Amino acid sequence: MIRPGLARACTAMLRRDLTLAWRRRGDIAMPVLYALIVTMLFPFALGPEDTLLQRIAGGVILVTVLLSMLLALDVLFSSDIEDGSLEQLVLAPQPLALMLGMKILAHWITTALPLIVATPLLAAMLHLPAAVIPVLLLALLLATPLLSLFGAVLVALTAGTRRSGMLLALMLLPLCVPAVIFAAGAVAAAQQGLPWLAPIVWLAAALVLAVALGPLACAAALRIALDA
Amino acid sequence: MSNWIPLWLHKLSSPPTFYRFAGTLLPWMMALALLLGAIGLYGGLVLAPPDYQQGDAYRIIFIHVPSAWMSMFIYGVMGVSAFIALVWRIKLAEVVAMESAPIGAAFTFITLVTGSLWGKPMWGTWWTWDARLTSELVLLFLYLGVIGLYHAFEDRRQGARAAAFLAIIGIINVPIVHYSVTWWNTLHQGSTVDIFGHSKIAWDMLWPLLTVTLATKFYYAASLFRRARTDLLALESGKEWVRQIAQREGKR
Repeated sequence: MIRPGLARACTAMLRRDLTLAWRRRGDIAMPVLYALIVTMLFPFALGPEDTLLQRIAGGVILVTVLLSMLLALDVLFSSDIEDGSLEQLVLAPQPLALMLGMKILAHWITTALPLIVATPLLAAMLHLPAAVIPVLLLALLLATPLLSLFGAVLVALTAGTRRSGMLLALMLLPLCVPAVIFAAGAVAAAQQGLPWLAPIVWLAAALVLAVALGPLACAAALRIALDA
Repeated sequence: MSNWIPLWLHKLSSPPTFYRFAGTLLPWMMALALLLGAIGLYGGLVLAPPDYQQGDAYRIIFIHVPSAWMSMFIYGVMGVSAFIALVWRIKLAEVVAMESAPIGAAFTFITLVTGSLWGKPMWGTWWTWDARLTSELVLLFLYLGVIGLYHAFEDRRQGARAAAFLAIIGIINVPIVHYSVTWWNTLHQGSTVDIFGHSKIAWDMLWPLLTVTLATKFYYAASLFRRARTDLLALESGKEWVRQIAQREGKR
């Protein structure tokens, strides 16, 4: 009895969040536009020198994607808190961690996936060699869910506060450092023709850990934040 | 029989008992910190011989290393009391965790500043993106994040619990700071002092270092006690024992 109910609740949660995001399609485009504009600023600021842009392309794209995701993180729970549906979710018989996991998945699909789709374009703007792009995409595919999960825990912690934007950046960016180091390490290794599998495997290991623990931590954090 | 220890700890976690306990211990802790600090610094800055390679510049070690140890030690204390605060919801543990954060942040900041002052003559640069320096910087940001989150809430106890959760998440960084010189090949040197083994440092330099370290520990205790006392008074401002203290202070 419990199992079909749980699966149905998960799909319902996912469908609800995706529908809500689809109704406001303009918001989905915003992080991508932001990433395009930030990437466009680099050639202006550093000069259109091909070798220099090539060298920094991987890191610039990673940081740009990270910052665009940070901007979109704020809204993860805000509308649900305003209309009270988050409290209903906390009270629901289904495990909160699983439901939040679905919410995080929906958020990743609507913010990170468009960014990953746009990444080849960003890479082309900075003249990243075409051979490196698959490695960059793979690194992003592993690093962005990691950021989503970390971010969700911190957003849940700040759920009860007024102004959380800058605070979120202050808390999230230090925790992101390892993800950025490994993702950039993989891209840099691929660019120099070195084996790049090790950092990717590290990222994957971190992601497995975060998928298992992230939703649980997120649920605990949300319970603390809504405990007023 | 032997259950007076848990009983005593239980009693100590009640705010008025801790207030009195910390009040009696505070002057002793502060005096010990000042005394040991003076002895250690005299031994380190005056008595200890100059280094054969670094000359007198190495003497910053007597500030830098104790601060660095404290930056990790205080994070450990904060993490443990944050855990206690979340699991058993003890008010005193929340206070200890939250009042440790600014002290730890200060020690981390001192570590970074003295380290870069030392780095300029020795490595030829103020800053380098080496594993230990970077992880220590991340530690500072974690402290600042905890402080920021604590003050973002209007309800102090709720803020303390949220920040305690963040402190627990961030504790993974402490072993990274500690072992960064072993795991990666870095510009920062490996550890010279080994508490349980043979230290690679002369006794003339070691004893002032250990004395200053003890002094920083006592300073932390004194500072924490004073901050916790103030915080407890504010948190419990509606309670009877605080009213009694206020009346007694008012009569004087």
